[in-house]
Amino acid sequence: MSLRSRELGFLIPALLLGMLGLAAGASARADALQAGPWQTALGVALVFIVMHAVLRLRAPLSDPYLVPILAALTGIGLAMLYRIDPGLAGDQAIWVTLGGIVFCAVIVFLPDQRVLERYRYLIGLTAVALLVATMVFGTEVNGSRLWIEVGGGQRVQLGELAKVLMVIFLAGYLREKREVLAIPTQRRLGMNLPAVRHLAPILVFWGAALVAVVVLNDFGTALLFFGVFLAMLYLATGRPLYVGLGLGLFAVGALAIWAAVPRIGARVDSWLHPFSDAQGSGYQMVQSLYALADGGVVGPGFGRALLVSPGGTPRIPALETDFIFSAVSNDLGYVGAIGVMLLYVLLMARGFAIATAARDGFSKLLAGGLTAVVGLQAFIIIGGVVRLVPLTGVTLPFMSYGGSSVVVNFGIAALLLVISNRSRQGLVEAVRGVPAT
Amino acid sequence: MNKSIRTLYLALAAAFAVLVVMLGYWQVVAAGGLDERADNPYTMEKQRLVDRGRIISADKIVLAESVAYREKGKKYYRRYYPQGTLASQVVGYATAAQGATGLEQQYNRYLAGSYGTGAILDRLREETKDGADIRLTLDTRIQKTAEALLSGRKGAVVAIQPKTGKVLAVASSPTFDLNQVTSDFASIRKEDGAPLLNRATAGLYPPGSTFKVVTATAALVSGKWSASSTFDDKGVYVVDGKPIYNSGKSKFGLHNLTDALTFSINTTFAQIGDTLGGRKLGGEMNRFGFARPTEIDLPSGEVATSGRYRDGKLLPNDQRDEDASRIAIGQENLQVTPLQMAMVAGAIANGGRMMRPYLVRRVITPDGVVVKQQRPEEVDSVASAYIASEVGRMMQSVVSEGTGTQAGLSGLSVAGKTGTAETGDPERNQAWFIGYAPAEDPEVAVAVVIEDTSGTGGTEAAPVAGEVMRTALSSDPVPGEPIS
Repeated sequence: MSLRSRELGFLIPALLLGMLGLAAGASARADALQAGPWQTALGVALVFIVMHAVLRLRAPLSDPYLVPILAALTGIGLAMLYRIDPGLAGDQAIWVTLGGIVFCAVIVFLPDQRVLERYRYLIGLTAVALLVATMVFGTEVNGSRLWIEVGGGQRVQLGELAKVLMVIFLAGYLREKREVLAIPTQRRLGMNLPAVRHLAPILVFWGAALVAVVVLNDFGTALLFFGVFLAMLYLATGRPLYVGLGLGLFAVGALAIWAAVPRIGARVDSWLHPFSDAQGSGYQMVQSLYALADGGVVGPGFGRALLVSPGGTPRIPALETDFIFSAVSNDLGYVGAIGVMLLYVLLMARGFAIATAARDGFSKLLAGGLTAVVGLQAFIIIGGVVRLVPLTGVTLPFMSYGGSSVVVNFGIAALLLVISNRSRQGLVEAVRGVPAT
Repeated sequence: MNKSIRTLYLALAAAFAVLVVMLGYWQVVAAGGLDERADNPYTMEKQRLVDRGRIISADKIVLAESVAYREKGKKYYRRYYPQGTLASQVVGYATAAQGATGLEQQYNRYLAGSYGTGAILDRLREETKDGADIRLTLDTRIQKTAEALLSGRKGAVVAIQPKTGKVLAVASSPTFDLNQVTSDFASIRKEDGAPLLNRATAGLYPPGSTFKVVTATAALVSGKWSASSTFDDKGVYVVDGKPIYNSGKSKFGLHNLTDALTFSINTTFAQIGDTLGGRKLGGEMNRFGFARPTEIDLPSGEVATSGRYRDGKLLPNDQRDEDASRIAIGQENLQVTPLQMAMVAGAIANGGRMMRPYLVRRVITPDGVVVKQQRPEEVDSVASAYIASEVGRMMQSVVSEGTGTQAGLSGLSVAGKTGTAETGDPERNQAWFIGYAPAEDPEVAVAVVIEDTSGTGGTEAAPVAGEVMRTALSSDPVPGEPIS
């Protein structure tokens, strides 16, 4: 069976899962058997079928599992949004369509990811510019400055795009510097360290991440950027010391900020002791924990938990974005939530497999970095929901409500598939004796 | 680089494994505790879907039931209390806004049907649930008598069956209407006399002379005295340079221990306490259950611990450096609940064996399946059967010729002890009576406390106790089980 037929074979059940979820949510809402918003469901299914078709034509050798995983996550996410508020699912379907367009555009117009390596500094500068623009022109929403107002009352999270650009830049930069970073030239404090000028990027990133915590008031974004940086540094050098050093620095910096900035200190306190102010600062967390507890082992099913009050207000503030995972855990129970987490682990397994199969350093770093971004982001927000780490405002990839996030994550998937297609193509050509380009 | 990619993948996968464990903690391990938190909106919302079980008295009067109604085509239930104010503090309420109290809280698991394996199956269906009925030991005939006698006053009555620990009545006055809790909680709370407080189990009062029953028991247990040991009362007993007088500064001269209890002679009991010392007296208090939370099937927040308090803190019973002579006559920061004193009387009545008090004798499903059956349990032995009968004989003398004559019942022998705790304001005495009847084969033990009265235990509390005991003895048990 060809790779693409295998993809279709997995894609169809994945799409059916989402459709069933929507129908189940609609049935729970109406208390009668209903097909649900079939136009939305069909529309989204069509987007995935088109993506599949484009892959058939332009990247036939790409990984066949990634799109079905995407479809399953997107479908469950849509079903969750529909059960929270049907209007949200309608919006999200539009974002998914836009994401599909971006996905297809990347596949069609970027046949070879190595082009990006040439523009790494330009891309890096753009990322910085986007972040600075957010810091300067950003509007504060829920205390975090992550959005920029564009026309028509829409807001864009430029940080989402900057995240991908940063990974591309780092892949190029680390590919260039990996040798000097990997070879220690001096010994300090019992550790073998490279020259200070090579260590400088770590310190710059560390500083930037801490500035972001304070200025953007967003611990999650900072943790994500810094975490991805460390992950890629590790991929490039193979030295866990850098990760340890980086995490240590980040912890020290975070502790200092926690002690110095009362606003952030208060957030940490409500993380550690949500029940001490269950009606105030701990409210969101406490309500989410109640939702998890209510979900129990199996949960009542799509749309059947009491997540939304009879008046239509979600019981947990930011249920459709930061707390979408609470909705999953509540409706589908522990079993369903584990299923969703397994989808993310599978997604990472495919992403890292693509990185392993890639044939040049830049592509490996790029695929590894992009996968780490998605995996880490999912970890940070789910970790926040289960109170493993402080709660932050990052989205759950492919599931949370929000255009910027959906579109960018579809772009990431497309990039991974381009890399995957390219490495297999190279393999085929190598076997045939055609020199790889 | 492939090795680092693999390591990174494993590290992230391990991080997700930690998430799975943590999520399991919230969804499985901690879930039960979170579900039971009073401010959990899920629990409140789900309550409306539950056909809660009924609360039914020993004489088959329904005290609480669920009534179905429809809203937007969906079937919901609301709680209805046919008896309104009767035993309101014990029955308690179960509301979304005010939380739950009393038996409604204590037996919520059964009433709401979330017990056993069925509960797990119910989670699969979010359907309406049927709860189990709880059948009480409480008898509304005795309860009504007690509440009628307390009506218009502040106070409490507890009646128990000494042999089993069955609680026959728990009255606390003033009361409130359970049906008004959802509609009018604010005004109930503002009402004079704190009607929400269950004075019988959570009200702490100085025991006054009723405590002499404990001291008399300790005296006999010590072997130093018998019921006929003689004492010479000079009208005053001085400890640490401070005098202890008898009530009304009376002087009794030569008398024995039975007389001392019969006429509540402070000086004699102070002398006994002084001789026994804090350790011995405290040891007896331990056996009677002082300074230990009373085990009864009510929410622990609604049952106070009897004992000695200083600055709101409970003290151990057997501290040597305490003034045992004043403890012996019920002073020295002693604070007790009517429930505890009923148990003291019950233990003497039951040959020295104190039974664990209980309000619910069985939990039974609508299909007649008995889910839980309570059997009598002994808490502790306070004295030998012989000593208990000796103390009982002295207590009979209190009612036949001493301070407790007004608790007397024609044709029956009653044992008891009065107490009057003075607050400094002669209009605001706290009048006590504890006792049991019939003395030969006790069927009922009571404790009565009346707050803010100008009378004494003998004039105010004893008649109430007598009337309650008479009702209890004349109320035939209601046969037949179960009712549908």
